[in-house]
Amino acid sequence: MASISTKHTQDEFDICIIGSGAGGGPVAYELSKAGFQVAVLEKGGWYDEQDFKKDEMLSRRKIFRSKIQNEPHILESPKTDGTWSSNTTGQFWGGNIVGGASNFMSGYFHRLKPEDFRLLSEFGPIQKANIADWPIGYEDLEPYYTKVEQEIGISGKVVPHPNLEPRSTADFPFPPTAEHPIATRFDKAAKALGLHPFPMARAILSRPNDGRAACEYSGYCGSYGCHSGAKGSSRAALLDKCVNTGRCKIFTHAKAYKINTDNKGNAISVDYYDNGPNSHQAPSRIKAKIIVVACYSMESSRLLLSSPGQKHADGIGNRYQQIGKNLHCCAGGTGHGIFDLSKLNSSDAAALKIRGPFFNRALQDWYFIDDKEKFGGRIKGGTIDFVFDPPSPTSAANKLKRDQDGKLVWGSAFKHRLKSHFTQSRDFKFEVFCDWLPTDECHVSLDSSKQDQWGSPVAKIKVGYHPHDLKVAKYIVDKGVAVMKQMGAHSYYGNAFTSPTANLMAGGLRFGKHAHSSALDADCRVHGTDNLFVTDGSFMPNGGSVTPTWTIYANAFRIADKIKMQLGSPHKS
Amino acid sequence: MLASITACKPVILQRATAIQQNPGTSANIPENLVLSTAQRTLIDAVQMQLFPKDGNGPDAQDLNALAYLEGALQDPANIEDGDPAFIVKGCSWLNDMAQRSFASDFTSLTVIQQDRVLNSIASTRAGENWISLLMYYLTEALMLDPVYGGNIEQKGWRWLEHQPGFPRPTTGKTYLDFT
Repeated sequence: MASISTKHTQDEFDICIIGSGAGGGPVAYELSKAGFQVAVLEKGGWYDEQDFKKDEMLSRRKIFRSKIQNEPHILESPKTDGTWSSNTTGQFWGGNIVGGASNFMSGYFHRLKPEDFRLLSEFGPIQKANIADWPIGYEDLEPYYTKVEQEIGISGKVVPHPNLEPRSTADFPFPPTAEHPIATRFDKAAKALGLHPFPMARAILSRPNDGRAACEYSGYCGSYGCHSGAKGSSRAALLDKCVNTGRCKIFTHAKAYKINTDNKGNAISVDYYDNGPNSHQAPSRIKAKIIVVACYSMESSRLLLSSPGQKHADGIGNRYQQIGKNLHCCAGGTGHGIFDLSKLNSSDAAALKIRGPFFNRALQDWYFIDDKEKFGGRIKGGTIDFVFDPPSPTSAANKLKRDQDGKLVWGSAFKHRLKSHFTQSRDFKFEVFCDWLPTDECHVSLDSSKQDQWGSPVAKIKVGYHPHDLKVAKYIVDKGVAVMKQMGAHSYYGNAFTSPTANLMAGGLRFGKHAHSSALDADCRVHGTDNLFVTDGSFMPNGGSVTPTWTIYANAFRIADKIKMQLGSPHKS
Repeated sequence: MLASITACKPVILQRATAIQQNPGTSANIPENLVLSTAQRTLIDAVQMQLFPKDGNGPDAQDLNALAYLEGALQDPANIEDGDPAFIVKGCSWLNDMAQRSFASDFTSLTVIQQDRVLNSIASTRAGENWISLLMYYLTEALMLDPVYGGNIEQKGWRWLEHQPGFPRPTTGKTYLDFT
């Protein structure tokens, strides 16, 4: 692919990291701090706190995300009649920007449990599910979970509950962020039901730390970029410091499209398009001793599949056709409790209208379910997070133009609906997370019939789900609805879903002990190479029943230590 | 890198800002807008039907909804969606329906007659889409930051007790400055 006109960077790097999100940031941080020369290739631009206005149009126009017309994905989904639909989509792009999608996460952070690392031996096989134990245990990752608490900045409070995972420290380094009055109402209701509510940890600083400001409680979190720097994005928490070492160079607008390998199968360089101002998408090449892939699960698989070489006929590490396999999302569902403020006394109504502080509650009473009548024995369950969605008032207003039957409503009737929705009700949400079991029906491949703007085949993402997931999700959604009812919500409902959680994909390059059943070794090194690592969420054989971001951060810090050991002493220049 | 992006202030934003700074004064609306004077009058009347003066909060004119729409129809993304052409086309359908029903232009009808004409065109798929699209832009004029030309003096936000986030977008730092 490299042409005569390919530009070669003059600098020599010890390590080149493709992607600057939660998987790439920790490696850049650790290696540059240790004295190594680090290059980061990031497809997006560098935007920071000064750019992150609380402007609904930024998300309506997907300003910091790749565009479907330039970089489509093909999504294959199961239909009810047993056939598959195939559509072009842009929903999987989470952040085309330095720091990646971590700029736009909500930062609801949970660790996995020790049992998540040994799902197969703990709960046994499930037919048509490719469940596997991890090649490492929780105890291997625990020090890195702790490290993330400090380095990324996690606020919270440890409250003992039956499924609290083991910790090496007594509590979080930062106290919890401010809580909305609904949290008190929630605690009372959950305890009345015999449950064990606990404050949800957040990757948000509750007090200033290391040059970053504390949360400003603007009420516009989640998909809005953080203006204060309190949100623990890879950029705010890590990459600014990397650059300050003078040993980390971040190449923005650099779209990697091929990893080159030598006749031993090892990675030697990365080809990318330089899309920076005046660069005219120039093909470029960068060399490094170690190459790290962290582009988000389906894109990391796509890059390896797009990089055949002398020793890698079907893409790097694909000798046993494991690249792109066992992709997974988060199974689960959502639910709502809606309060009619006109039915509450004025102080309760005023309390529920407050915007700024967080809900910050979770339940893990059903992380393991022992309901013989429903499931025949003990199974893996999930988590319920109680959250606020980031406000999108314009979208909310636009939805109100249609009544329950889908008929347009306008005039005074429409205005009445608006007034009632915005001033007389409050909607509180819960999200259920449980395992999306890996199957042969959920994977990534290349679609040679469709190219991105640079002419490379796009990723085709097949997202079949296992019926077991839906059964578990429905079970837990019902529990969440019961909590909303107990809280006194005037209407409440919930739904399990089978559609992919586009912002929470993982797997595709799972790690394992054996090359014939995994893509990476226990150190997340691509099988068949000595120096090519994958540090995003692709490595996970299963996602746990939580959002995976804390685990991705932790594992990337773990792999950074492995890479440091492999490189030995840094050059002293 | 960022400086090079923000230095290119899009023309559309200049228009939106000009309209915002001079609401209701058509003399200040720049030339070469999508809508003719007649179409502008018609859409103004439709918007006042969709979002009327009824004692419950601001009406469409209070929100500067027409000027907002004219600015939005010059947004490249909305042009790519075909919105300007569709909205212009819908003006003809509406007047045709007004003529067929009452032998008069839409803007000359009583409020009740106008509502009947709107209901008539809403019974067709294209007509329903047209009203839906006008309401889409109305909700933008109602709830987006005033920097985009609607929601004058935060009338929409104040009516619906909406608390905006901070910092809010400012001239030179709107979504148009990142494209």
